Amino acid sequence: MTIDFIINQFTEIIGNFPVAAFLVACASVGGLLFVLMALNAMVAVYVERKVSAFMMDRLGPMGQGPGLHAGKWGILQTFADAIKLLIKEDTIPKSADQILFKVAPFIIFIGAIIGLSALPFSSSIQAVDLNVGVFYIIAAGSIGVIGIVMAGWASNNKWSLYGAMRSAAQIISYEIPAGLSIIVPIMMSGTMNLQNLIEYQSGSIFGIFPNWIMFQNPFAFLAFFIFFISAVAETNRTPFDIPEAESELVAGWMTEYSGFRWAVFFLSEYANMFVVSGLAVAGFMGGWLSPIPGFLNSPVLGLFWFFGKVSFLIFVMMWFRWTFPRLRVDQLMYVCWKVFIPIAMLNIFGVGIWKLIFG
Amino acid sequence: MGVIQGDQMVLNIGPQHPSTHGVLRLEVMTDGEIVSKITPHLGYLHRCFEKHSENVTYEQVIPYTDRCDYLASMNSNFGYVVAMEELMDIKVCERVEYVRVIMAELNRIASHLLGVGAYGLDVGAFTPFVHMLRDRERILDIFEYTCGARLLYNYMWVGGVSHDLPKDFKKICFKFLDYFEPKIDEYNQLLTYNKIFVERTADVGVLPADVAISYGVSGTNLRASGVKWDVRKEEPYSIYDRFDFDIPIGEAKFGTLGDCFDRYWVRILEMKESIKIVRQALKEIPEGDIFETMPKKIRPPKGSIYRRTESPRGDLGYYIESDGSPVPTRVKMRSPAFTALSCLDEISQGWMMSDVLCILGSLDIVLGEIDR
Amino acid sequence: MSKYFTNIYDTVNTLWTGMRITFRHMMNIKKDNVTLQYPEERWPRPERDIGFELEDYNVIRTRLHVDIDDCIGCFRCEKACPVDCIKIDTIKAGRGEDIPEVAHTGETSNGTKKGFVVSRFTIDMSECCYCNLCTYPCPEECIFMVGGPHSSKHPIDYEFSEVDRNDLIYQFAKKLTPKQRNDLQQPKEKAKA
Repeated sequence: MTIDFIINQFTEIIGNFPVAAFLVACASVGGLLFVLMALNAMVAVYVERKVSAFMMDRLGPMGQGPGLHAGKWGILQTFADAIKLLIKEDTIPKSADQILFKVAPFIIFIGAIIGLSALPFSSSIQAVDLNVGVFYIIAAGSIGVIGIVMAGWASNNKWSLYGAMRSAAQIISYEIPAGLSIIVPIMMSGTMNLQNLIEYQSGSIFGIFPNWIMFQNPFAFLAFFIFFISAVAETNRTPFDIPEAESELVAGWMTEYSGFRWAVFFLSEYANMFVVSGLAVAGFMGGWLSPIPGFLNSPVLGLFWFFGKVSFLIFVMMWFRWTFPRLRVDQLMYVCWKVFIPIAMLNIFGVGIWKLIFG
Repeated sequence: MGVIQGDQMVLNIGPQHPSTHGVLRLEVMTDGEIVSKITPHLGYLHRCFEKHSENVTYEQVIPYTDRCDYLASMNSNFGYVVAMEELMDIKVCERVEYVRVIMAELNRIASHLLGVGAYGLDVGAFTPFVHMLRDRERILDIFEYTCGARLLYNYMWVGGVSHDLPKDFKKICFKFLDYFEPKIDEYNQLLTYNKIFVERTADVGVLPADVAISYGVSGTNLRASGVKWDVRKEEPYSIYDRFDFDIPIGEAKFGTLGDCFDRYWVRILEMKESIKIVRQALKEIPEGDIFETMPKKIRPPKGSIYRRTESPRGDLGYYIESDGSPVPTRVKMRSPAFTALSCLDEISQGWMMSDVLCILGSLDIVLGEIDR
Repeated sequence: MSKYFTNIYDTVNTLWTGMRITFRHMMNIKKDNVTLQYPEERWPRPERDIGFELEDYNVIRTRLHVDIDDCIGCFRCEKACPVDCIKIDTIKAGRGEDIPEVAHTGETSNGTKKGFVVSRFTIDMSECCYCNLCTYPCPEECIFMVGGPHSSKHPIDYEFSEVDRNDLIYQFAKKLTPKQRNDLQQPKEKAKA
C-alpha cells in the first residue's frame, strides 16, 4: 500500500492523468496518516493518564465514558479533552508576532507527519518506500525544532523564549548520538531502506532468539540503548523535558498557546514519539517481524507486531516520564556530549571490528 | 560559571508560578540561564495576623496561628500555648503534654512529607510527590479522627487540648507508624538515591554554617549546614527532654556540606526521628483529665514573654505582651521561613534558572508563615 | 576515568531501581489504590478504613447547627467567635413563659427557664473558620457541629455548597413578622414607661 500502488491503480481504473493521480494518492495517504496520528494521540493520552495514575496509586480518569459517573474507566476522556480544546477560545497575545505565531504549529505538525510517511507498518503497508528511509526520518525529525523556535520567539514571552532556546540546543545535540547509533544497523545490514533493513533481521540466532539487530552483538544492543534514550530527548520527554519543564518554565515554548493550536502541538508530540519508536523498532527490533522467529509472519500480522513493539516503546517512554526527575541544561549536554557521543563513536568501531571478525 | 558576559535580563517568577510554593514573586536578574541577583517580593498572602491578634481574646488567637504555617498547624498552636502557659504560669497535666508531643511530631512528619514531596516536584519527579501526599493523608485522617479538622486544627488550647484522644487512638497510630516506616525506604529508592536527583541537588546552593547563622536561618536548613541546633534539645520545652532521639545534621552525603541534598536528606532523617518520639510517647502516655488544668478565664498578668519552639521550619518564636486584659496588647511571631527565604539571594547567585527553583524548594518555605 | 564509569553504572542502577518501584505500583493498583470515586463512595468507608469507627469520632468539623428551642440567647457563642460570623438578636420576654404566637417555648430541654425570645440567630458559614470555639461555652449545648457524637440527631454532611452566597447565611431563629416583633417589644417599653 504505497503511494506508487495507489497511483498505478488510479491510472489503471480512471486513465492516465499523472498530476491528478499523484494528488489523489497523496491526499488519501495523507488523510490516512492523519487519522493514524489522531488515533495514536487519543490512545496514547488515555494510556498515559492511566499509566501515570496507576504508578501513583490513583485511578486516573473514571467518569467519562459509557455510564457517566459509574466508574467505567473513563474511556471517553480523550474525546472530552479534544472537544474542550477545540471549543476553547484561541488567544493570541497582542505583542506576539502574529504570522509566526500562527505558522509555528503547522511546521511542527508537518515535521511529525512527514516522518510517519516513511515508516514501514508492514511488509506491504508503507506510505513511501524510500531507499534512504532511515536518513529521511532522522532528517524529518529535525524540522520540528524550527517550529519550536518559531513558536518560542513569536510568543514574545520570556518563558517561551527560554523553552525554545533550550529545545533547540537539546534537539540539535541529541541528533548526533541518535544519528551515530543508527549507523550501526546500517553498517550491519548494508542498506538504508527500511524494508530491506527489516528483512535483514529475519531468521533466528541459535534457532530460538529472533535475529534482531539489537541481539546480534553487544555493540548493537548498546547502540539501541543510546538511540532510544536520544529519541526520548528528541521528543522532549522527561527526563529530558527541559523545554517544557512545568516547574521551572511554566509551560516552556507552549506557554502562550491555547485551544486548537495547542492541540496541534500535543498531537505532534505524540506523533513524534510514534515516529522515533517506529524507527527504533525498524532499525533494532525487527520491525514487523514476529518476536518468535518464523512464527505468525504475514503482512497483516506484521501490522500487529509493528504496532505492538511501537506501543511497548511508547510505554517505556511513559514509564520514564513518571519515574524520573528532570535533568538540568548543562547536565543534559554532559550526558549527550561526554557520554553518548563517545560511546556511540566507539560502538561504530566495535561493530566494524565485530563484523570483520565474525562476518 | 558565566564566562561570556551578555546583557542582563529581568525575569519575573511568580506570583502565579507553579513552583513558588504559594504566592511569592521573585525578581531574578539573569544572563541567559545564569542568575546574578534575586529579589523576593513578599506580601501577597498577608492577612494581618499580628493586628488581628490585638483585637481578639487570647484563645481566639489560636485559630489565627493555625493559618500562619498551614502545613504544620499543630506546631504553630504548640508554640503559642507554650508561651501563654509560661506567661500565665500554668503547669498542664501529663496526659496533655504527651498528647501535644504526639500531635506535634505527627504534624512534623506530615509537613516534611509535603516539603520533601514538593521538592521532588520542583526537580521534576511527579510520582514521589503523589506517594508522599498519599501517606500525608493518613496522618491527616488521624488528626481528623481526633479533633475533626484536617488542616487547621485549633487543637491545642491554653492549659489543655480541645479533645481527648479517641479510644483506639494508640492502635491506629501504631498501625500508621508500622505502615509508614518502610515507606521511607521506598521514597529513598524512588527519589533520594536516584542519580538524576542527586546530580540536580548535590553541590547546588551551598549554605555554609557561618552564612546560615549570620542570616538567622534555623531548623532543618541550619542543621543541614552541620550546626547541631535544635530547640527541642537546647531549650527543651514541654516534655521533650524525656525522649530519646537524635538531631540529624547534614553529612555531605553526596556533595558539599549544606547543599540542597543535605537539606532534603535532613528532612528525611527527621521523619525517622519523629517516628521514634511518637512511638515512645505512645508507650508512656498516662491517663488523665485533659480539661483539668484549663483556666476558666484566660487573663494573664501584666508582662511579656518570648518563647521559641521547634516547628518543622525552624525556631518558631512568639512574643506576647499582656496588659492584664483578656485581649493581648501585642503578639509577634518570629517566622523561621522568612529568615530562610532571606538567604536565597546569597546562595543562589551564579546558579542556573532551574537551580533557583531547586534551591527555593530545598528551603521549604511556607508563604502563609512568611507573610502572616 | 573509573569515576566516569562508576557514574554511568550508578545512573543505570538507581534509575532501574526507581523504574522497578513504579512498575510494581502499577501492577498492584487494585491493592494500592487510594482514590475514592467521590459521589459513589464516601469517606469513611468500612472496607478500607484504617480502623475508624464513625461513632468514635470526637467531633467532625462540618456545618454548625443550632437547636433553637434550646437557645437561651446568652450571646456566649457570639463572643467566642474569632471571625464574628454569628449574629444574635434577642427580645426580652417573661422568664419561662411560653409564647405560642411565635412558637417560643419557655423551657429548654435541660429545664432552664428562658428569659429571651431569640429573634435572630444567623451563622454565616462562608465566614466560619470551623475552629469549634463557639460550641464549648454554650451552657445548653445547643450549638454544635453536625456528625460525630451528634450523628444520631444530625448525620454527617460535608456537602453544603450553595448556588447563591446568601444561602450560606443560615437562619436558625423563628421568622418574626414586624407586628409580632412589635408586640413582643411593647411590654418592655410599657414597663420602662
